[in-house]
Amino acid sequence: MTIETPVFEESVVEVEPARGPMDWVRKNLFNNWYNTVLTLAMAALFVWAALALARWLLGADFEIIRVNLRLFMIGRFPADQLWRPWVATFLIAILIGVVGGSLAATARDRAVEAGLPFTETTFRQVLSRFWPIIALVVVILAFTTTITPTLLTLLAAALGVGAYFLGRVLPRAVRRWTWGLALLLIVATYLALAGFGGLGWDDWGGLQLNLFLTVAGIMIAFPLGLLLALGRRSSLPVVRTISVTYIEFVRGVPLITLLLAGAFALGFLLPSDVRPGFVTRMLIAITLFEAAYIAEVVRGGLQAVPRGQVEAAQAVGLPTRTTMRLVVLPQALRATIPAMVGQFISLFKDTTLVSILGVTELLDATFIVNSQSDFLGQGLFVVTLAFAGLVFWVGSYTMSRESRRLEKRLGVGER
Amino acid sequence: MTVQADYSDATQASGEAIIELQDVDKFFGHFQALKDINMKVGLQEVVVVIGPSGGGKSTLIRCINRLEKHDNGRIVVDGIDLSDDVRNIQEVRRETGMVFQSFNLFPHLTVLDNVTLAPRQVRNMAKKEAEALAMQMLTRVKIPEQARKYPGQLSGGQQQRVAIARALAMQPKVMLFDEPTSALDPEMIKEVLDVMVELARGGMTMIVVTHEMSFARAVANRVVFMAEGEIVEVGTPEHFFTDPQETRTKLFLSQIL
Repeated sequence: MTIETPVFEESVVEVEPARGPMDWVRKNLFNNWYNTVLTLAMAALFVWAALALARWLLGADFEIIRVNLRLFMIGRFPADQLWRPWVATFLIAILIGVVGGSLAATARDRAVEAGLPFTETTFRQVLSRFWPIIALVVVILAFTTTITPTLLTLLAAALGVGAYFLGRVLPRAVRRWTWGLALLLIVATYLALAGFGGLGWDDWGGLQLNLFLTVAGIMIAFPLGLLLALGRRSSLPVVRTISVTYIEFVRGVPLITLLLAGAFALGFLLPSDVRPGFVTRMLIAITLFEAAYIAEVVRGGLQAVPRGQVEAAQAVGLPTRTTMRLVVLPQALRATIPAMVGQFISLFKDTTLVSILGVTELLDATFIVNSQSDFLGQGLFVVTLAFAGLVFWVGSYTMSRESRRLEKRLGVGER
Repeated sequence: MTVQADYSDATQASGEAIIELQDVDKFFGHFQALKDINMKVGLQEVVVVIGPSGGGKSTLIRCINRLEKHDNGRIVVDGIDLSDDVRNIQEVRRETGMVFQSFNLFPHLTVLDNVTLAPRQVRNMAKKEAEALAMQMLTRVKIPEQARKYPGQLSGGQQQRVAIARALAMQPKVMLFDEPTSALDPEMIKEVLDVMVELARGGMTMIVVTHEMSFARAVANRVVFMAEGEIVEVGTPEHFFTDPQETRTKLFLSQIL
């Protein structure tokens, strides 16, 4: 008996490769009658929206933004103190530059040490990475009435770039102290803004206040949330109960409630000579709120670390604390990057809530300018809201992109 | 090597005993995982533990380095009595290396950092010294060239060899292997077993839970057959191949050989 070899010729599916963009369009957008209808309808809608947007952009009067730009950026900060936010901007540009350059140099050294390929970051890559922010700065500068802000911004950019290259050429032994330099620069920034008989946080406003509340909120809430998450898993019943109670209480209350409590209850309870300023109380409320959410995000990450990791660490004799610090937390935090950045993005947008307490942050500023006698009743909300929306979108979108970048980069060691 | 003891008894060890279990019981809820285990392992002895899954083999060796806490009885490792004292537990863990079925390498650290972590943190070794030691251990398991890679970039067999190097870097007196080749593709089993055989011939005291009878035949001094939480039969590898006594042993061997 002979066994016939089956022939599978017919089972080969003919996949015709697409030839050119026109071919792709025909295959994917016009391959049957309902796709054709949908394509045409969507194209019509798109063209209509684009035309409407273009007509609005050309026709709209942006005078309201031009006049109030300073209010949007720094709130009611006195005009004769304007040098303070500018000096702060320079210091922050240097801070970002030095830290960025030093990190890049460390990454390069590590890659060289490990014999892995390392490609230098090109100028184009930097542009494509930060284009939303660069575009936003250009848009904002387009609204300025004098040349000074543009020149000062260029100076800040030059300082940042200079600091970046300085950070890159620093020898290793010096680079180890970059964090100290960063701390020094942060203190200097604070002094520039509030030192030398200057004004306190309470005088801040506009975008500056939103950014401050976001960055300070993250920096304080993150370690606090980490401790709460660890406390929730603690073997000590007292620590565990306190952590769980705190987390569940705060998560059961809207942020506005905490802000109101910070504004009124805290102000009422504490005597006036120890009572912190208004913005400080807002920061406390935001931090306490965020810490509870970050704790839950971290808890999710801790649960994602397999049990075998702890056992392997125990088996080589690592004490519990070292195991947590060097084995569990690095893996847990990496797993939480998407959720954590999501939390940071919503914190950035939630900072607008302090406006209900009469603090002139960006969103509030874009509202109140519509009551100015020059612009009253002209329906310019759409202009000012579009501006605020653009600023928040750029911030959130950049965070989201950076998060994805970080995930990818840390993905090297994935199992 | 001179044979001094009768291998048919689990409580007999060749030479000086380094691990001793007396009347050890272990419960998971109502389920008794270990029933009245008595066992001694001598210095430089290689003991292979075989038996059906759920029979208590893994629990047995996990009790020896306190990944599981035994409920009754005594476990003494190198003269240290395992009690609830954290210092005792740490001391025992420093003396015993363990290799897991699922490798459990630290995925966020390079191979080199995986191996140097414990010597640096537990033995307070300087970075340079620890790295030299790690390279020595990686050479011993024949993968020094992979030192800068991450575990995720290695094959299963390579990962398991790194895990062995990581355990060896603490210079333990005893090595525990919990089914080290069960998660490996067949073509990678040999490279791991080769390393283990060399280790055994080099005089390491080992307890190995495995079904690789070729390994047992090559280097085991004794084979322990466990089922339902009890030690059913003990003997030389030769005894198990030629003359198993218990019905359960015969049934099990007929399934794996």
